[in-house]
Amino acid sequence: MEICDLNVWYGGNHVLKNINLKIPKNVIFAIMGPSGCGKSTLLRAMNRLLELNPTAKVSGQVMVDGINIYSDKIDVTWVRRQFGMVFQIPNPFPHLSIYDNVAIGPKLNGLTKSKSELDQLVRWALEKAYLWDEVKDDLRRPAAALSGGQQQRLCIARAIALKPRIILMDEPTANLDPVAAMKIEELMLELKEDYTIVIVTHNPQQAARVSDYVAFLYLGELVEVGETSQVFTRPINKLTEKYVVGRIG
Amino acid sequence: MNTDKAFRLSLFFFTISSFIIVASIVVSLIATSYPIFMRDGLSFIIRGAWNPVREDYGILPALLGTLITSAIAIAIALPLSISLAVFSSELIPGKFKIIMNNISDLMASLPSVIYGLWGLFVLAPILHQFVMMPLHTHLGFIPLFSTRPVPTNLFTAGVLLAIMIVPFASSVIREAYSAIPYYLKEAAYSLGMNRWEVIRMMLGYIKSAIFAGTFLALGRAMGETVAVAMVVGNIMRFPKSLFDMGYTISSLIASQFPNAEVYEFMVPALYGGAFMLFIMGLAINLIGFSMMRRMVVHR
Repeated sequence: MEICDLNVWYGGNHVLKNINLKIPKNVIFAIMGPSGCGKSTLLRAMNRLLELNPTAKVSGQVMVDGINIYSDKIDVTWVRRQFGMVFQIPNPFPHLSIYDNVAIGPKLNGLTKSKSELDQLVRWALEKAYLWDEVKDDLRRPAAALSGGQQQRLCIARAIALKPRIILMDEPTANLDPVAAMKIEELMLELKEDYTIVIVTHNPQQAARVSDYVAFLYLGELVEVGETSQVFTRPINKLTEKYVVGRIG
Repeated sequence: MNTDKAFRLSLFFFTISSFIIVASIVVSLIATSYPIFMRDGLSFIIRGAWNPVREDYGILPALLGTLITSAIAIAIALPLSISLAVFSSELIPGKFKIIMNNISDLMASLPSVIYGLWGLFVLAPILHQFVMMPLHTHLGFIPLFSTRPVPTNLFTAGVLLAIMIVPFASSVIREAYSAIPYYLKEAAYSLGMNRWEVIRMMLGYIKSAIFAGTFLALGRAMGETVAVAMVVGNIMRFPKSLFDMGYTISSLIASQFPNAEVYEFMVPALYGGAFMLFIMGLAINLIGFSMMRRMVVHR
């Protein structure tokens, strides 16, 4: 995925300024920065979820496998199906069963042809999300009956059941206890084998633990991008250095 | 300290007195209707008759009238109020939304006699000419439309009731719809749903509120009196179709009470009708609550 000259405004507010990023395949790419720096906005610009906000205006290009998703010819619902997205607050559909939460994406997409194929896909996604063993006895239970950490893994299963090209995660552990958060981080490392993951985090330690590449965003500008080990040990920019040692944030 | 005590005492007093009022209503419903149930037993509620001169009373046609008009009202009002709620929270811009919601709230607060007048002089003739007559002429072989309609009948009453309860049902649904957390909508859109798919998903999420709104509206429809009395036809006979004239319990009471005391058993008979209405209302509420509880457990 490649982002070229991306600018975003909310009304008159210039919130993302000339963002240029290249995100390689099968890596975990972290976007970190203090709250309000525009990282969630950047993530939502990648799958055009930003357009839900009527005041948001976007210019620039986002290329996914050579396709500019902001091209006029591209259908926005198609764009969103190329990405699986996981949010800050675990948000399974509480009135749907565990099964239906995972099945809803493929159903909408027409990804599967038969019931048994769908069953298999649901199982596969739940296994991938480390949730299968905990829920296999009763997939008809409502999603709301699960714990927060389980709900978040259900959301990950829902996202990967779409067979997306890229997974976007918006502070996926911010509302979880440390044990549940650790599980999610382990899961991310596992998923990296098959997917490109872009994670937004306000926690530099998390970025250091899980990511291969990291971008530091500050006040809407990309301050520094590079391999995680390099950014954390030998940051080029003074601001980045202050951020990773905890002096700003 | 003292004012605190006085405050608590007065709270206690008012709470108790509202309980006492409800209890006394139930007691007088039972006590006053007692004679008619003693004299006629079940036949009072499973027969059709209203002949005060012979002191012959049977209210089944009016009970059916209440059920039929309420059913028509709900069948029309439910899709309308869901659409209205979705329309006002999803599709129209802020300024118009406020205007529309205000109009809807105003409609809810209009005195029902105004609806009755409008129903009698505007709605009934229009329905008669453009809906009921064509349905009767072309689909008269269906029992529901078999009676040759006059403007005032059960169907007109049902449609008028629908118009009256839409603002109630839609405001409950609207409140619930606008309280849907944004992150759920984001989740739906992130799966590549289009707007209609998202709306359908969100309606599923608030279905308990839709039930609640429906039952609230149903309760109102069953109890509504003046407007219905003005358009329902007011004849005690078994309805042969939706286009038959009839009674509802409320309209029966409203139109018969003026000379009720002349007859020995008419006051008990009217109270008996009121008691049946009370039982039906209670049943509707209980069903509604248990349905809602089941759904809350599901979450």
